[in-house]
Amino acid sequence: MKDANTIDRREFFNWGIRGIGATAFASLLSRGSSARASSLGPAVFPNFEPRAKRAIHISLVGGMSHIDSYDHKPGLDKAHGKPLGSSEKPDIFFGKVGLLRKSDFQFKPRSQSGLWLSDMFPHIAGMADEMTVIRSMTTDSANHTPALFFANSGFEFNGFPSVGSWASYGLGSDTESLPAFVVLSDGRGGPNGGASNWSSGFLPSQHQGVELRSGNTPVRDLFPAIEQPKGSDAAARAFLQKLNARHAARRGADAMLSSRMRSYELAARMQLSVPEVSDINGEPEYIRRQYGMGESRTEDAGRRCLLARRLLERGVRFVQIYSGGPIGGSPRASWDAHENVQDNHSTEAGRIDKPIAGLLRDLKQRGMLDDTLVLFTTEFGRTPFAQSNANQVGPGRDHNKYGFSCWIAGGGVKSGYSYGQTDEIGWKTVENPVHWHDFHATVLHLMGIDHKKLTFYHNGIERRLTNVHGHVVSDIFA
Amino acid sequence: MHLCGYRNHFLGLVLFLLESAAGVSLAAVDFDHKVAPLLVRHCLECHNGFDLKGKLDLSQREAAMKGGKHGSPVVAGKPGESLLWKKISEDEMPPDHPLGQAEKTLIRDWITGGAKWGADADLDPFQLTTAKRGGYDWWSLQPVKRPGQPTVTSQNWVVNPIDAFILAKLEKAQLIPSAPADPRALIRRLYFDLTGLPPTAEQVATFVNNPTDAAYRKVVDNLLGSPHYGERWGRHWLDLARFGESDGFERNGVRNNLWPYRDWIINALNDDIPYDEFVRMQVAGDVLKPGDPAGQRAVGFLVAGLHNTVVGGSEFMKKTARQDELEEIVGTVGQTFVGLTVNCARCHNHKFDPIRQKEYYQLTSAIAGVFHGERNVSDPELGFQREALQKQVAVLSEKLAGIENRGREAALARRKQGDKPPKADPPKPLARWEFDTDLRDSLGEMHGMAKGSARVSSGALVVDGNASWVETKPTKEQLRAKTLEAWVELGDLNQKGGGVIGVQNLSGVQFDTIVFAERESRLWMAGSNGYARTQSFGALEENEAHQNPVHVAIVYREDGMITGYRNGVPYGKPYKTGMSEFPAGNSQIIFGMRHKGGGNNYLKGKIHRAQLYERALTPDEVAVSAGVESSFVGEQELAAALGQASRKRRKELKDQLAALIAREKELGIGSQMKVYTVVARGNPGKVRLLKRGSAMDEGEVVRPGAVAALRSLSSDFGIQPDAPDAERRKQLAHWLTDPENPLFTRVIVNRLWHYHFGTGIVETPNDFGFNGGRPSHPELLDWLASEFVANGRRLKAMHRLIVTSNTYRQATAPSEDGLALDAENRLLWRKSPVRLDAESLRDAVLAVSGKLNPKMGGPGFRDVSITPNNGTTYYAPIYPKGDEYNRRTVYRFSPRGGRSAVLDTFDCPDPSTTAPRRGVTTTPLQALALLNNEFILNKAQAMADRVQALEKGRLDEQVKRVFLDAYQRAPDAEELFLAKRLAGQYGLVTLCRSLFNSNEFVILN
Repeated sequence: MKDANTIDRREFFNWGIRGIGATAFASLLSRGSSARASSLGPAVFPNFEPRAKRAIHISLVGGMSHIDSYDHKPGLDKAHGKPLGSSEKPDIFFGKVGLLRKSDFQFKPRSQSGLWLSDMFPHIAGMADEMTVIRSMTTDSANHTPALFFANSGFEFNGFPSVGSWASYGLGSDTESLPAFVVLSDGRGGPNGGASNWSSGFLPSQHQGVELRSGNTPVRDLFPAIEQPKGSDAAARAFLQKLNARHAARRGADAMLSSRMRSYELAARMQLSVPEVSDINGEPEYIRRQYGMGESRTEDAGRRCLLARRLLERGVRFVQIYSGGPIGGSPRASWDAHENVQDNHSTEAGRIDKPIAGLLRDLKQRGMLDDTLVLFTTEFGRTPFAQSNANQVGPGRDHNKYGFSCWIAGGGVKSGYSYGQTDEIGWKTVENPVHWHDFHATVLHLMGIDHKKLTFYHNGIERRLTNVHGHVVSDIFA
Repeated sequence: MHLCGYRNHFLGLVLFLLESAAGVSLAAVDFDHKVAPLLVRHCLECHNGFDLKGKLDLSQREAAMKGGKHGSPVVAGKPGESLLWKKISEDEMPPDHPLGQAEKTLIRDWITGGAKWGADADLDPFQLTTAKRGGYDWWSLQPVKRPGQPTVTSQNWVVNPIDAFILAKLEKAQLIPSAPADPRALIRRLYFDLTGLPPTAEQVATFVNNPTDAAYRKVVDNLLGSPHYGERWGRHWLDLARFGESDGFERNGVRNNLWPYRDWIINALNDDIPYDEFVRMQVAGDVLKPGDPAGQRAVGFLVAGLHNTVVGGSEFMKKTARQDELEEIVGTVGQTFVGLTVNCARCHNHKFDPIRQKEYYQLTSAIAGVFHGERNVSDPELGFQREALQKQVAVLSEKLAGIENRGREAALARRKQGDKPPKADPPKPLARWEFDTDLRDSLGEMHGMAKGSARVSSGALVVDGNASWVETKPTKEQLRAKTLEAWVELGDLNQKGGGVIGVQNLSGVQFDTIVFAERESRLWMAGSNGYARTQSFGALEENEAHQNPVHVAIVYREDGMITGYRNGVPYGKPYKTGMSEFPAGNSQIIFGMRHKGGGNNYLKGKIHRAQLYERALTPDEVAVSAGVESSFVGEQELAAALGQASRKRRKELKDQLAALIAREKELGIGSQMKVYTVVARGNPGKVRLLKRGSAMDEGEVVRPGAVAALRSLSSDFGIQPDAPDAERRKQLAHWLTDPENPLFTRVIVNRLWHYHFGTGIVETPNDFGFNGGRPSHPELLDWLASEFVANGRRLKAMHRLIVTSNTYRQATAPSEDGLALDAENRLLWRKSPVRLDAESLRDAVLAVSGKLNPKMGGPGFRDVSITPNNGTTYYAPIYPKGDEYNRRTVYRFSPRGGRSAVLDTFDCPDPSTTAPRRGVTTTPLQALALLNNEFILNKAQAMADRVQALEKGRLDEQVKRVFLDAYQRAPDAEELFLAKRLAGQYGLVTLCRSLFNSNEFVILN
């Protein structure tokens, strides 16, 4: 056996810690320090032919009721007004278990595939043939912030990289003028947990999600925060270039110096490309209308969905769109329908239904849906029983971590397909449970990544998006 | 007789018995030296008694022979019938890594020879390091031996032994060290490295003019003696301590009082207390030195990390949250002090290092009494100082009162004789809203903005009781003690709950407002969030305000006393509750509304005038302001009544008192101060191992203890499972800092090396285990460790040694050979260039702009807005101006989340976990932050203003000064030409902004 204290010849210049993360400290710039460019690690990404090259993740904040939207439960209709009939004390948020309540929305088979979807999302329902609905999601937490962290990063705590950051780290970006991972928050405000939801955690900082806002400075510090003398930006940049060149000549060229100089070129490009991509006025009127722009209810989501498509077209790897602002407050600005599911969900769905359907249609028309993943997820579902006194059928529902629905469209998944089941009343998953780790493993797989190989060394552990769990749900692949 | 129950041949049994009786057998020698290591390396990973695959345990004689779910693995003498042989020969086992032919033969022969076990019944799976994991023989666990200094060819390069170790390896690799750095580069490097601040141009010039070794050493000593040293290296330590001033998790609430820990670290480093003492204090200071406030501050280390304040309702959730909390602390302690990722053994034995799950729980037991929280810490020193101050204040106040009373009596006597009192000057408010024609603050910039139908009409603000109100921009000053005052006319007397004037935080969750009839009809009250500071004044019902404007004022004193006034006279009785703090930047003044977000919130009526004071007015002052007659003798009248000598004496006394009171205020309130620290539970009870880490699946009771793989010291603390917290943590502190603990010293000297050179001798400073890096210079590491002990474990001595080495003083210029053979510079053929870290960059910008406020210690400055929303607190960067915000970045209030782009993009870690090593990235977002961020642009302007004032109208001199300040060198001719052209056309500010962005500013040679 080799003496543990010595380094043999073969390893002489390789004291590096194991894994692809090691390169992150040595290399620079967005493309350079993605795992793809790794020279040390055994893995090269993508590991295999990807089905999807990019992704849009629509994240519903507050918890969408699956039994009113994507999970048809005739059994619940029959049980309406009856008690849950279980001795178990459900782990829900407010702890008020009312009587069972049937769906407030009407279900029927949709499109060619005949997927049963409700009339909560009439426009999206028209695109049923493009999606796989997973009706057997489960999660670990029924509290908003940890549940949203979990959906994004596979951990209930802040400090872990989100899916988009991992995708950026694994695959890099196809553009140098835009960030690899872009976040579009609801016009009503950021989700609970704020920017921690798109943090790069321990991954190098270039993999963090960059929030693109509306207004004159879509990316923070894109332009001077205080007005500067006219023309000074370009002049300063030109001066800087000369100054840096003289400095490098004096001191000897070095990767760190040249990559800093290059970062200013890329910054200048971002100053052009971000306003360019954000300016959707150039889109034809019929496209804008298809996304629901021009109607007050759908203007915000429509603009962001259209923006997402434009970002992906220009090489952005991962775009996250939030539906729902801060939890709490009245009236509610999220899907957290404790008081009244019908009112709340009709409003919230009305804001995004047409924009998302428009997005799917647009991607399809452009031939992009084949290699673009569209993920539609929520923190958790809602309970089949009302959130009311034990002898009442109130109009609201509490949080449900035991079973809920998400869907995936495009990017090599089956069309018009459903996977997994909850029990008769939609309370708990009973068939083919899909935990977030499985969902994440599946998403990475669709993007050509083996979730066990995409690792980063952090404080003693080769960290993964899927922790030590995760099974790829290959049944949903086309 | 272990084999008796086993299907065996009589002969084998006889042989076994005979051999056992003989004590030693040839076959047993074979097993111990050949078979056992093979089993340990290749089989015990899965079949080891803790984590049984196939229920087969090969680590213990009896269990091994009994076998697992497929029965016994070995038929002695018959390999062909032995499952073990079948699996091994068919390459089914070990999975993925089949044995070599020689190893297979060994197993076959062993079985053929009777499959005899060795001297020990048990095999220890941690005995040896394998291809997959570290064992007891792992390099970092062995005792530190001071190595001799290696011999080198170029002996003249060796300034101290460090150089010999470095050079030996370089020579072996046929590399030569780089030339010494030029004096300017060297001195800049040293300043940034030891203090985190740039030198001044003058300091650089002094050294450059006399760049001798002696001069260099003098600078080193000066810098190590500078208080900025503690700030710089304290910041490094705070990374390890995952120092964050909010709880994280769902609520992420503010931690107002963790800063004493930060101050303790900075002071301890500046005092250069021995490192073992430094660590003992942070693990057990509160119990090692009970009553000493320093101990209570120092143990802030244990609780500086995340804290889940929403643990959920069920028993399982509560227990799991507590276990998560303990893991967070145990993990940080293990990684920080001994470079062991002990936290990886919570659910099973460590996968890579010889750490048992049981040992993880022993460590958990050692800190089982630790809980997060705030304590009142009485600092005797603080108390003495305050007492002395208070005595002086009392004496002086009495003298002052004597003089003033005589004056007052004289003045009142004059009035009786017919003198009309001169009109007393009313007290000066912080802000005044006349509402004559608009909503402007006539004294400052707290202008109001109308909401709903609120409007100004006929010299009053009119609000209709229906979601109409006025609010101001965020306040620029913090409000604690205060006075709210308004002249108000009510629409009717039956309305309920409307506010007249109030201060609230931006979300409206916290407020103090003058409210009409919320709890008691027709009565005025001091409205507050959840009635926290609201009590009845017990006054008479309002019966006039619907016809005539009344003057209403509420005075909030620092000590929590709240007094109401109506028309200048006290309104009922004052009462004492608490005082609420409204931070600058996150609070605003409101009119016509109780607070944002409540019900029955709005006032119906007219507000004719309103004023805000940032202090508590006296009854006389309120009376004067209300314009009513009183026996109040104003300043002018009093002065007139006093003789000249008395006037002078009075002024002296007042000045002295003001200074004393200010000093007292600095000391805090009461004789105690609040500190976020360990709230120890004296008797935390027994701790049990949790199977698979599940909080509900309890196993055996464990005693407080540590890791046995460190063979040079005992892992048993020698105390009972139910020992008190104090005993447990004292023992833990002693184990960590034990002179025989090799990791303790290796880890810290490696950290110092890491921060000085950018990469440690071991490149994973928190992980000296199998998964971490291997030392590039193991002998140097051990030499440093032993030298550290010889120097009394004082960090400054090690800094001195390192920065005076030739290794450290090399130039950064790359060489072709170096890059080709060792691109990462692990052999140190040059000094690696350094990209300034986020804090140094911000501090450097402050320093060269001339704005740096050197104030040390105390609560951090807050450049974030703090918005509580439904239980969760949100932080967002803001850019307030003012001296307070120009302090060094280490004094920044650092919540989790809410960093500005400058800190964020330059890799300042969010303190969610211990950060032993920062990323060094270069991104376009970084460039944007440095070009366009408000802080940077403000400082560029400040620098330009300062230099322009200094060198009025002389552009040449201005440009030169800017270069000197930013780079500590003059521009060359070409630079001067370019810079002048830039500054001439676009202003000096553009030059300053450019230099902040330049490589020479951001990257150190």
